[in-house]
Amino acid sequence: MTEFIKVENLKVYFPIRKLFKTIGMVKAVDDASLSINKGETVALVGESGCGKTTFGKALLGAVKPYSGKIFFDGIDINNVDGSELRKIRRRVGAIFQDPYSSLNPMFTIYRIVEEPLVVHGIGTPKEREEMVMKALEDVKLIPTSDFAYKYPHQLSGGQRQRVAIARAIISKPEFIVADEPVTMLDASIRVEILLLLREIQRKLSLTMVYITHDIATAKYFSDRIVVMYAGKFVETGPTKEVLRNPKHPYTQFLIEAIPDPDPRNRLVLRKVVAGEPPSLINPPSGCRFYPRCPFYMKGKCETAVPPMFQTGENRFSACFLHEVEAPPSKQA
Amino acid sequence: MVLKADHLFLYYESERGIVKAVDDVSFELGERETLAIVGESGSGKSSLALCLIRLPPKNTAKFQGQIFFNGMEVMKLNEEEFRKKVRLNGISIVFQGAMNTLNPVIPIFRQVAEPLIYEFGVSKEEAKKKAVETLSYLGINPDMASRYPHELSGGMRQRVAIAMALVTNPKIVILDEPTSALDIITQANIMNLLKKMKNDIGTSYIFITHDLALASELADKVAIMYAGRIVENGPADKIFTTPKHPYTQLLIESVPTLRTEKEPRFIPGAPPDLINPPLGCRFHPRCPYAIQDKCNVEEPPTIEIAEDYVASCWLLGEK
Repeated sequence: MTEFIKVENLKVYFPIRKLFKTIGMVKAVDDASLSINKGETVALVGESGCGKTTFGKALLGAVKPYSGKIFFDGIDINNVDGSELRKIRRRVGAIFQDPYSSLNPMFTIYRIVEEPLVVHGIGTPKEREEMVMKALEDVKLIPTSDFAYKYPHQLSGGQRQRVAIARAIISKPEFIVADEPVTMLDASIRVEILLLLREIQRKLSLTMVYITHDIATAKYFSDRIVVMYAGKFVETGPTKEVLRNPKHPYTQFLIEAIPDPDPRNRLVLRKVVAGEPPSLINPPSGCRFYPRCPFYMKGKCETAVPPMFQTGENRFSACFLHEVEAPPSKQA
Repeated sequence: MVLKADHLFLYYESERGIVKAVDDVSFELGERETLAIVGESGSGKSSLALCLIRLPPKNTAKFQGQIFFNGMEVMKLNEEEFRKKVRLNGISIVFQGAMNTLNPVIPIFRQVAEPLIYEFGVSKEEAKKKAVETLSYLGINPDMASRYPHELSGGMRQRVAIAMALVTNPKIVILDEPTSALDIITQANIMNLLKKMKNDIGTSYIFITHDLALASELADKVAIMYAGRIVENGPADKIFTTPKHPYTQLLIESVPTLRTEKEPRFIPGAPPDLINPPLGCRFHPRCPYAIQDKCNVEEPPTIEIAEDYVASCWLLGEK
């Protein structure tokens, strides 16, 4: 396994300005480190406002970090010149949540899917046509010659998201960030798009970051899971193992909160944790989950930021409960 | 039985034609019973809620059918009678996104107390007491009752919206996607609260959701809606374990689950356009069991499978 993406101590802060003064910072991502192997699919899960989308944007080079480094195949993406950056952009694709706003309504499907090729100056018009049709076929918009000359408003939500996927894969990227790609779709269609993404991921051996709040879909879709809370990674590990046996108290509550369609759950109260995630402007000191955590250790959790402790093979948890199990590790 | 809806229709006018949002829907709701109405977006479930509280929007093209509430024929009441007998303390509704409809410049307890003061002639002090009590039952501390909506989190505002529906002691509460804008843990908190309410208060609930998993948490009965119609309606444990209608079967199989190993399947195609729904059974273009020259021609009969259990499909035999 070769390391493909490496994120080191990434911080993404957004300044809050009042007149000309910066009066605070929204710490959307605060000291996150992660490395992703080639061909691996990593699910980044968390509640809204936890910083998962910002982390994804930073991976795409769409937001500048406050500090920290992101390496794409060994290249520091925030420390390269424009032409080098364009070369990297060709190797990266993105799929967003809302297929109703991410496709230009004035363009035909053909033009939407072709655009990345035009921007990057790939191929002759004839070659591009072949590539567009091939991409439409890959996402099963068949007959492709019909779909190519339609406009977004003529397509259903699921079809639009296929167009977005075709656009993301047409420049033959090696790495894709998919941010909540099925959240806006109807329940009966969601799985279809996820299975399609998984098929394409395998066929093209893409490295993928799948950002979602829906842990059940992450289960079917990812090799590894990263759980994020209030701007920090709290737990990482192989998806199936983390879901079966979550270590971090937040992960435990998050998983416990998800219902399955099962009539035996009727009127059974769930173990839930009260409260809401903290503000990212003034997050709690130490562990950000401590004010809600039932395992809070006084004098410890609020004074020091818990590092990632190893809790098993490839498993890490940022919780002092796991301090005894293993010495702290800097890397996740 | 507290509520009976008989052959309800709600059509909208649009530039492209008539949208048949609710198209011949009938169901019953028993005392202290919770009925979940489950459907994908655009299946007409929120429109059905609008029928029940007689609030058809301005562009309504057709609104008809019979609704019996406590034996009263609701559609025959004039607006004033309907307001007094049904809307005020008969059927309450928590609209989808209700937490974003609170008045930003009025403290929350006053918004909850409002109907008691203006409609029931309760004194201001009494109304405040009752409002604070209701809020505190729903997990909002009395010392937070004077706060303004912007000072509360999404989950808290949703509790306020539920308090507004409960404060008049209604017979029926309609909950339209009460947790859909909330985060997972907050959603679990609100679901716990709804379960507690169901145990404590002798109210009937109509729980509208797109999420089968949430429906299974609360419902005694489940009605599955597809393209403006109820295709299957029966006891929750039957619907979840041995569904009869192909759409219900496939919808249940399409839910990714956390605790089982089964791979989810999907339903090919997309829900139909409600302006030109398919002839015959509306699910036939996506149905793996569709019978040529039958399902695409004739509407399926509604078959009574057991007591209080119906489904509309040709596979279940004729009447």
